Amino acid sequence: MSGLLGQINPGLLLILVGFAGCLIPVQRVRQALMVATPVVAILMLAMADRGTDLATASVIGLDLVLYKVDSLSFIFGLAFLIASLLNAIYALHTDDRLQDGMALAYAGAAVAATFAGDLMTLFIFWEITAVSSVFLILRAGTKAAYQAAMRYLGVQIFSGVLLLDGLAYVYKSTGSLSLEAFTSFDQPGAKLIFAAFAIKAAFPFLHNWLQDAYPKATVVGAVVLSAFTTKLAVYAFARMFPGFEMLIWIGAVMTVFPVFFAVIENDLRKVLSYSLNNQLGFMICAIGIGTPLAINGAAAHAFAHIIYKGLLFMSMGAVLYRVGTAKASELGGLYKSMPWTTIFCIIGAVSISAFPLFSGFVAKAMTMSAVAKEGYIIVWLMLLFASAGVLEHSGIKIPYFTFFGHDSGKRVKEAPFNMLLAMGMAAFICIAIGLPTIGGFGYGWLYNMLPCTVTAPADVCLASGKEIKPYAPYTVDHVLTQLQLLMFAVLAFILLKRFGLYPPEKPGTILDTDWLLRKPGYGMVMWAGTVWGKAGPALTAFFGRIGSRTFEKIETTFSPRGALARGPLTLGMAMWSAVLLGVVMLVVLLAS
Amino acid sequence: MNLPPERDASGRFVKPEQDLPQPNDDDMHPMSRVLFGWVSAPRTPMILLVLTVVIALGLVLVDFAVNRHEYLDFANANGFYALWGFAAFALAVLSGWPLGKLLRRDEDYYGEADTTPQDVEHDS
Repeated sequence: MSGLLGQINPGLLLILVGFAGCLIPVQRVRQALMVATPVVAILMLAMADRGTDLATASVIGLDLVLYKVDSLSFIFGLAFLIASLLNAIYALHTDDRLQDGMALAYAGAAVAATFAGDLMTLFIFWEITAVSSVFLILRAGTKAAYQAAMRYLGVQIFSGVLLLDGLAYVYKSTGSLSLEAFTSFDQPGAKLIFAAFAIKAAFPFLHNWLQDAYPKATVVGAVVLSAFTTKLAVYAFARMFPGFEMLIWIGAVMTVFPVFFAVIENDLRKVLSYSLNNQLGFMICAIGIGTPLAINGAAAHAFAHIIYKGLLFMSMGAVLYRVGTAKASELGGLYKSMPWTTIFCIIGAVSISAFPLFSGFVAKAMTMSAVAKEGYIIVWLMLLFASAGVLEHSGIKIPYFTFFGHDSGKRVKEAPFNMLLAMGMAAFICIAIGLPTIGGFGYGWLYNMLPCTVTAPADVCLASGKEIKPYAPYTVDHVLTQLQLLMFAVLAFILLKRFGLYPPEKPGTILDTDWLLRKPGYGMVMWAGTVWGKAGPALTAFFGRIGSRTFEKIETTFSPRGALARGPLTLGMAMWSAVLLGVVMLVVLLAS
Repeated sequence: MNLPPERDASGRFVKPEQDLPQPNDDDMHPMSRVLFGWVSAPRTPMILLVLTVVIALGLVLVDFAVNRHEYLDFANANGFYALWGFAAFALAVLSGWPLGKLLRRDEDYYGEADTTPQDVEHDS
């Protein structure tokens, strides 16, 4: 059954309502819309047909596919819609028109981009995500947030420009803008589009916009931001670059390096941003493997990750909202005043650490198996290291230093009810999709939605030529090995803590690659500005002086009062030259 | 040598210990007592350590009983995951010492020490 509603891209609805929401002054009316719209959008998505172009348009000779659903885009789009519903509930305690509206429009742009059937449509919504999301940082209202927002916007727009550039090459060489997977970097536009996606997916050395901007966003803003931009980039990679070997190594590096930054970082929302980077690495690595099992792993990981990462950002947001800081050095002992937030945070933490019975376990197991199956030993060891690293920063550091650890003596109120409700719903999903399947409840629900199922595989699953087989996460091997890894890591934590070897949480700024831009880069620009400020006027004066002197010389020679114009002979000469020129012109005219 | 009690050995004034605000458990959330009352018990850390050691060693023992079939041969070794998990975690944490020295700067290094967003509660 697919009526009219099944043919409208649900993202468009979110964008429209979002922009309109910025104009609705009555808090309750606006927020009712913000909560209802994602629900309607999920219903619309459920009604949509798979695998056909549902909405097309033709603009200046370009055939645009505005709405196309297949099994790959479905799971990403659904995750985005669920996240936008949770975010809307999480934001109910605030009365901020711009933030409410832009959060929904941003989610809508991500959904619309996911269901785009061609590169131009993808580009348009790609840019809307950048422009709408920047308000979530700006609304924090601090000078730091303003500056970070400007850097963020610059980076995001640059990614869009690269994408536009790349799609122009693709259009010129193939005459079509359809979203087809590249097969090699030699294809026109492939490198540019790869770079555009790489920026948004926060690849190593391009990652720092994320850790710069997200921790400076508003309490609600950071939760919203964590869900969409990066996972849209992951989707875009899965769509256009599956099986590119380079992604395997980039992904592996991406899982490992944030672990070290997360250990020493004090701002817990920044720790979560590094952790986000590390999680993206698993997905990128899986996309690089490109087999059906790996693509399933990436999609399942993205789905589970959007929920549990949102949950973790929500719990840190609740702490920030009540205590006024999210710095580990100033927190501790909050379980005494925020027991529900503590519980939900712990559920998020064990989910991201991939403990059996939680969503991270059923998602990550596929990626790990796919990497091992293809024989990438070093990559597999790196991912295994990163799995222990995730447990360190997201599984232990976040809940331990906030809610337990040294009692900071801070006694606050429990988080507002709407925050608890959103966290509770997210926590429910984390458990519901992680349990073994019992009577239709459990990981089976998630696995049935995966892109590479036998019944309706997405195009990208067939490209690798590998057989699509159902996957069973709850084998004795998996549960045993994962528990061994995690329990020994926990043991390491307890021992290190006991012997005083765990580095204390200290306030400070941790240098990362943004240092290059913000210190030497900024210094260079300032230096160039000073030099130009002095050299510019000097150069202007210099050329001005040359100009005026030349003019004076010419004037004294050739002007009516000049040297050449003196005396009757020169006057007659001028007259006769004019006559002669006139005759020559006449001859030329007559001769032609 | 008779020093006044509020001075330390080098004669500097120090704040008497008893004046520091002591964490107060009177206004604890009622739900916290139910869910996490055990956390502050004096024997809890020891019990947690023993429990973790028992579970961890138990998992290695079970490994000897189970014949695993991994794609990568070396991962079949008994206790491989245990060793790797312990080593990886220890490496990540211990690297925090030198890395912190190397990369940590003042909070106001970029001139943006205040990052508290305006939508936090105002009475905090």
